[in-house]
Amino acid sequence: MIQKISAPISVDLLYDHRKHTVVPRQIFWDGKNLRVDQVGLHHTFREGRTLFHIFSVVSQGLSFRLRLNTDSLFWTLEELSDGLAN
Amino acid sequence: MGLPIKPDFNSSPSTVMHIDLNSCFATIEQQANPFLRDKPIVVAAYDTPNGCIVAPSVQAKKLGIKVGMRVKDARLLCPDLIVLSPDPDKYRAVHLSLKKILSTYTPTVSPKSIDEFVLDFTGTPGLQRGLMIISQEIKSRIKKEVGDYLTVSIGLGPNRFLAKTASNLHKPNGLDEINKDNYLEIYKGLTLTDLNGIAHQNAIRLNTVGIYTVLDFFRADLRTLRMAFRSVLGYYWFVRLRGWEVDDVEWGVKSFGHSYSLPKFLTKPEDLAPLLSKLVEKVGFRLRGAGFQARGVHLGLLFRDNEYWHRGLSLDQPIFQSQDIYRVAYRLLYRSPYHLPVRNMAVSCFNLSPKTILQLGLFEDRLKKESLVKAIDDINHRWGNFVITPATMVNTNDVICDRISFGR
Repeated sequence: MIQKISAPISVDLLYDHRKHTVVPRQIFWDGKNLRVDQVGLHHTFREGRTLFHIFSVVSQGLSFRLRLNTDSLFWTLEELSDGLAN
Repeated sequence: MGLPIKPDFNSSPSTVMHIDLNSCFATIEQQANPFLRDKPIVVAAYDTPNGCIVAPSVQAKKLGIKVGMRVKDARLLCPDLIVLSPDPDKYRAVHLSLKKILSTYTPTVSPKSIDEFVLDFTGTPGLQRGLMIISQEIKSRIKKEVGDYLTVSIGLGPNRFLAKTASNLHKPNGLDEINKDNYLEIYKGLTLTDLNGIAHQNAIRLNTVGIYTVLDFFRADLRTLRMAFRSVLGYYWFVRLRGWEVDDVEWGVKSFGHSYSLPKFLTKPEDLAPLLSKLVEKVGFRLRGAGFQARGVHLGLLFRDNEYWHRGLSLDQPIFQSQDIYRVAYRLLYRSPYHLPVRNMAVSCFNLSPKTILQLGLFEDRLKKESLVKAIDDINHRWGNFVITPATMVNTNDVICDRISFGR
């Protein structure tokens, strides 16, 4: 089931200058620290001049869609999914 | 028309590569969300029962779910079907990532649609390495650099048509070549409608001149093909099937258009006006962004009972401002003789010309108008579409979403 959410979320992001990678490592959601197990896809888009990064990540049997606003550097949880039919 | 080539099959090595991302939208969704992988999912224009399916996953296709089906019909085939709404930004991002990888192999990369690319290796060092080796490398780089669940079917051939045909031979994740050594064997295994460009009507045309198989098609002489198509198409097919290039053509932009399927059917022109206004704003923004102006506006209406009415209007003066396009489109809407509930509305601009030199008008300051339109476009570009909108577009915030067309 896919649930649309629009809520601020804490994200621990790691930039590795040797591997040239930027990966969310941990998220703080629902009162718990959750380790990110997998990044499904990372993509970007613009709304006007503002660039947004979207990280689709997996943690604790759930898929999270995380949005980073590069103007404010604030993160938003946009979607939660368990992969089951609605 | 004389033949500039010998009617033999092109014996040159393959130089064209056709790449097709399998079940594009659905596979990208499965890439983003690993819990959707290996499951029947579809991307539909709307996730409501009447929503039209635009991309079924490989697993959904195996259950008989096809592009164009309604969600409710697909659910009869698969009750646990997962239905997703399109996310155009995601698909565009993957498209650009693929293009970036492909551009490292040849400078001639032509995107044919959101999920298809044609690479021409003529005169590049890639030919020395061998296109089969390069194809394998591209497949593994896509998995490593874009997404491990993404698969592409690659076709190789001496021309674009055969490369595309080869890419369709094995799906998903195929890699095939059609060349001088195997073309007869491959033609033997195909039906006429397997060929890109031969649909039902063209197959009937070919049947009327005694062509029933692809081998018949290949062996037919030029005179027979001209009789079948009654145009230059007969010659093109004669050449195409022999591996010579006739499809390396860039077609110019002929029109800009947008359409919208109404979730709630509306009848009165005044009720349809806000939606028309938003469609026109989108058309106008794209028209001007591409540097064009138009001398014609077209409106198409599909009614609830599947009746279709459309009308175009050619203009004396070229227009580029959304307000002007809207005025013409609204006039057309008012002229519609049917007063039935509308289920789909489409607006387009045609007779395009580059917006380089403005013909100054006697009664209006066109330069002033252009400056105003440019300022509004700049603001919308900087702060996001529809920050500044006409009052006629009121209450249309959540309708007419961003879409990716199937064509180029």
